[in-house]
Amino acid sequence: MESSQQPYQGQPVAARARATTYNCMRCGKFNELKPREPIRCFDCGYRILVKERTKRMVQFEAR
Amino acid sequence: MSLLDRHSVFDGKGDHNHPLGTKITYWIDSLRLDHPSLSTRESKSANRLMYPTECRQRSITYRGRLTGLLHYQVDDGPVQVEERNFGLLPVMVRSNRCNLQMMKPAELIRMHEEPEEMGGYFVVNGNEKVVRLLVAQRRNHVLAIQRPSYGNRGPGFTKYATQIRCVRRDQTSQTITMHYLSTGNLLLRFPMRKQEYLVPVSLLMRALVGASDREIFEAVVGGDAENIFVRDRVELLLRSGKDYSVFTREQALAYLGDKFRVVMYAPEDMPNVDIGRLLLTRMVMVHLDDYRDKFNMLAHMVRKLYAVVSGECQEDNPDTQQMQEVYLPGHLYLGLIKEKVEDYLLGVRAEIGKDSRNGKVDLYNKRYLSRLFSRIGADIGQKAQYFLATGNLVSRSGMDMQQMTGFTIVAEKLNYLRYLSHFRCIHRGAFFTELKTTGVRKLLPEGWGFMCPVHTPDGSPCGLLNHLAHKCLLTITLEETEDVEKTLVRLGVVPDIPKPSLCDPNMLTVQLDGRVVGYCTESVAVRVAEALRILKLQRAAAGLEAKGPNIPYSMEIGYVPRSHGGQLPGLFLFTTPARFIRPVTHLATRQEDHIGSFEQVYMEIACLNEDVHPGITTHQEVLPTNILSVVANFTPFCDFNQAPRCIYQCQMGKQTMGTPMQSFPYRTDNKLYRLQTGQTPICRPRIHDDYGVDNYPNGTNAIVAVISYTGYDMEDAMILNKSAHERGFGYGSIYKTEYVDLGKFRKSGDPITTHFGVGRDMLTNETIYERIDIDGLPFPGVRVEEGDPLYAVIDDVRGRTKLIKYKGEAGFVETVRLLASQNPDEELQVVAFTFRIPRSPIIGDKFSSRHGQKGVCSQKFPAIDMPFTETGMQPDVIINPHAFPSRMTIGMFVESIAAKAGALHGVCQDSTPFQFNEANTAADYFGEQLRQAGYNYHGSEPMYSGVTGQEMRADIYIGVVYYQRLRHMVSDKYQVRTTGPINPLTHQPIKGRKRGGGIRLGEMERDALIAHGAAYFLQDRLMNCSDYSLAYVCKCCGSVLAPIAIPATSHLVDLSRPGPLDLVCRLCENADGITMVALPFVFRYLATELMSMNMKVRLDVK
Repeated sequence: MESSQQPYQGQPVAARARATTYNCMRCGKFNELKPREPIRCFDCGYRILVKERTKRMVQFEAR
Repeated sequence: MSLLDRHSVFDGKGDHNHPLGTKITYWIDSLRLDHPSLSTRESKSANRLMYPTECRQRSITYRGRLTGLLHYQVDDGPVQVEERNFGLLPVMVRSNRCNLQMMKPAELIRMHEEPEEMGGYFVVNGNEKVVRLLVAQRRNHVLAIQRPSYGNRGPGFTKYATQIRCVRRDQTSQTITMHYLSTGNLLLRFPMRKQEYLVPVSLLMRALVGASDREIFEAVVGGDAENIFVRDRVELLLRSGKDYSVFTREQALAYLGDKFRVVMYAPEDMPNVDIGRLLLTRMVMVHLDDYRDKFNMLAHMVRKLYAVVSGECQEDNPDTQQMQEVYLPGHLYLGLIKEKVEDYLLGVRAEIGKDSRNGKVDLYNKRYLSRLFSRIGADIGQKAQYFLATGNLVSRSGMDMQQMTGFTIVAEKLNYLRYLSHFRCIHRGAFFTELKTTGVRKLLPEGWGFMCPVHTPDGSPCGLLNHLAHKCLLTITLEETEDVEKTLVRLGVVPDIPKPSLCDPNMLTVQLDGRVVGYCTESVAVRVAEALRILKLQRAAAGLEAKGPNIPYSMEIGYVPRSHGGQLPGLFLFTTPARFIRPVTHLATRQEDHIGSFEQVYMEIACLNEDVHPGITTHQEVLPTNILSVVANFTPFCDFNQAPRCIYQCQMGKQTMGTPMQSFPYRTDNKLYRLQTGQTPICRPRIHDDYGVDNYPNGTNAIVAVISYTGYDMEDAMILNKSAHERGFGYGSIYKTEYVDLGKFRKSGDPITTHFGVGRDMLTNETIYERIDIDGLPFPGVRVEEGDPLYAVIDDVRGRTKLIKYKGEAGFVETVRLLASQNPDEELQVVAFTFRIPRSPIIGDKFSSRHGQKGVCSQKFPAIDMPFTETGMQPDVIINPHAFPSRMTIGMFVESIAAKAGALHGVCQDSTPFQFNEANTAADYFGEQLRQAGYNYHGSEPMYSGVTGQEMRADIYIGVVYYQRLRHMVSDKYQVRTTGPINPLTHQPIKGRKRGGGIRLGEMERDALIAHGAAYFLQDRLMNCSDYSLAYVCKCCGSVLAPIAIPATSHLVDLSRPGPLDLVCRLCENADGITMVALPFVFRYLATELMSMNMKVRLDVK
């Protein structure tokens, strides 16, 4: 979209077809999946993918 | 031998020579179950095998393909064979069809399982389901029953009966009951397709072997010709048999065949005699194949029945473990599959019948046949899955079971002990839960060593839901018994052939697995029993190189000696599966012997060394703790406690927030509890290491002072040291998993219209990118609170992006799993979110020691105000001394000093029960250790007030106790409300915490308030905070319903006359008396209801 938008994780927000990375639950490989692609690990064909943990700092008020 | 019968059907298109027409015979054999694997549509995966972890996470079923060979033969043509698919059958984890079976811990961890995964459960729709053990009547053993209800079965019936549960080789059973009638006649009752049939015994005996009257007489009376009672009864039995004018075997069989032709589904061309034979094979004494054996057993049954009636022997108690065994999950499952295959065959039969009536049948047409066999639903896997998922047994025959529901339970992984006890629990049967009599629930001495006396819930399932003692085993193998029989004969048992029982009334029956092998005298029986035991132990000791007769190690040698009106004497041997057995030491050989629950009653087993009586005692317990279940064994020093406290601990141990597993990242259970700071207990029993409990800690070692301090420890409350809490004492979290399936409301075949993702309309929305990624899913690790946007879904129909909000307690997104659909080409539709909800201990959370001493945290006290000892120690937990006198949990005191001494010396203390006695006391043993460490021998220490610093008058008992955090937490329970949702009909607050409802102030509470004269408060509770409403009443007619608003154009009333608002009373037709009063809204509802019944409510308003 327009570059005037809020940068997302340090990168410009891409078009809708932007791929997101997931880890395979079995082999741990990174999978770049575009929207509406079937959920299969490219490497081993496994059927469960997990979303990567956010790289952003996660800090909460310590009490 | 095939599991299933052959079916023969005729098409009914016969001619003169063959009136029945063409015959088709078909049957199924060679059922095969494959390992669970991917469907053929799955093309991308290299490894075709499925593993349980995938099924759990995708919430699907772990199942393999079931196939069988269907054979059919038309007339006498060639036998055709084709493979039939019976669907996908759920497979037990770690069974021999499971892909994990041979895996070692390292491989199991790689498969995302526990290193010591035990299996034994099914994964059904992602849930772990266990088929629970059920108590069954001991198989192949005649039970004498006296039940008053039997007398009401019909005219002539008495309360006496004998019953035998016969079990076939395939482990399906058939129970038959023999009733004693007041006429002296005997009727055999057996169920068939849930219908009961009664057949005269004399008829059956004749049909079995063609026995003459004399033969029947001899078989029953035997050598006991002096026994007039039995003689007379047999005479009556024989006489009443004359009514059927059946004299030969053929006649008897034909008679039976004729009566049972229809219910047996016999082929039409089968003669009556053969059907009679079929009935005897399928229904009468099904554990025996030979008709002579069946006859002998039936005669034994008759003899036992007469013995009970005459008082010669006692009726058996079906509630003792002696007369019980277990329905094993595998046997039940096999029975279910067998029945479903049979249903399929019967379905085919019905289909042919239907076709032949419509004239569509054409048995010589191959296409017709293949269509016929595939037309009947044959998805046995689906039916088995239904059974496992719901626990409901859908059965045509009833499978000889007393109940049809409640066969399966979910194996909750709340903590390790809870999980373990699911596999060790054994239920008496749903029938007994409603029973008013409590006899079934009794703890009986026969269960010693088999059932745990401590581990049973209190309340409604008490005594019905038991747990196996931790060393109790169940036999699972079918043994070869040929050698046993030969050995018996060699040892002096006389086989039945020349009727030796005729000569001597003192001959005892010898039965092997419910088959009369022969007879012997009492003295021979004693010798035989001894010799058999030695032989069986010798063989077990020799191991693989064993020579000599094969006597199964698990064989029970139940010698019942003659007594005065006790159990019917005889030598009863059992080698069958599903029996209880347990190890004890055989004193003569010092070898471990396995004994069963039948023989145990008549054996001399000493518990401790001092109980051994030389010459009498033959066996000794391996350990006295063997009588306790796994969970009961983990109560430290439980022999010091009052018994009910140990029962409570068994329950609370199973409600503890502990460490249920180590594979947290790979689990998607609805709710998982986890104790973050688990410790291994300092006081632990010896079996702690055997069960590997160190890997699954269940609590924390806490410094506990028994002192009444500040008053915040009244009534079982406990004070937590705030600093201990800040150091992580009892810190836990909850893992919750929620599945989101976008395709749930979509019909299969419809195009996908909803997708996870952020659409163009939302791309400019900056706020959501804090939490939601471009794929519409939240970033794992992000904190979520109620109302925060959780994920985004694009709806194609509306062209909009919808944000779905998080509901529930604040927590963190732990994992986001993207799950594939069944269809390999489909895009993402199912996502599993796992949330972690931190639950640090707060006021109101429940804790407990391991002695049934539970309490609620009442205050987190600052460390500076806590009392301290001379060494500067502060307690983590303060409990009140009043918790002890009435409960008498001395074990907790012992644990306190034992663990204190253990902590001081840096050792783990053995807390196995039954280690101490009067001469050698626990107090002394651990007190001495304390003294050596420089502490007070009794475990008490002087303490100083944390507030004033003054020394307390009394020394305080302070030590280390292992504390469990229970899963009952205030966060899950608190319920408050000011205003909120109301019931639309009554306008009263609704109930239920989940919906934000209120707590009912009931009649008893109301009574209390009235008694206190708290009228204003009562008004507030019952009226103002409930369904307060303002209503108009007409003072003239007193009606709350009559005042209504004036319609815009009304002729009823003169608008010029003033009245309140624009109201008018319909009855008085004026607005003169209308005033406003406060009324409960339900009152108006009541008035309306009464009006509908033509009753008028009149309010006397002044």
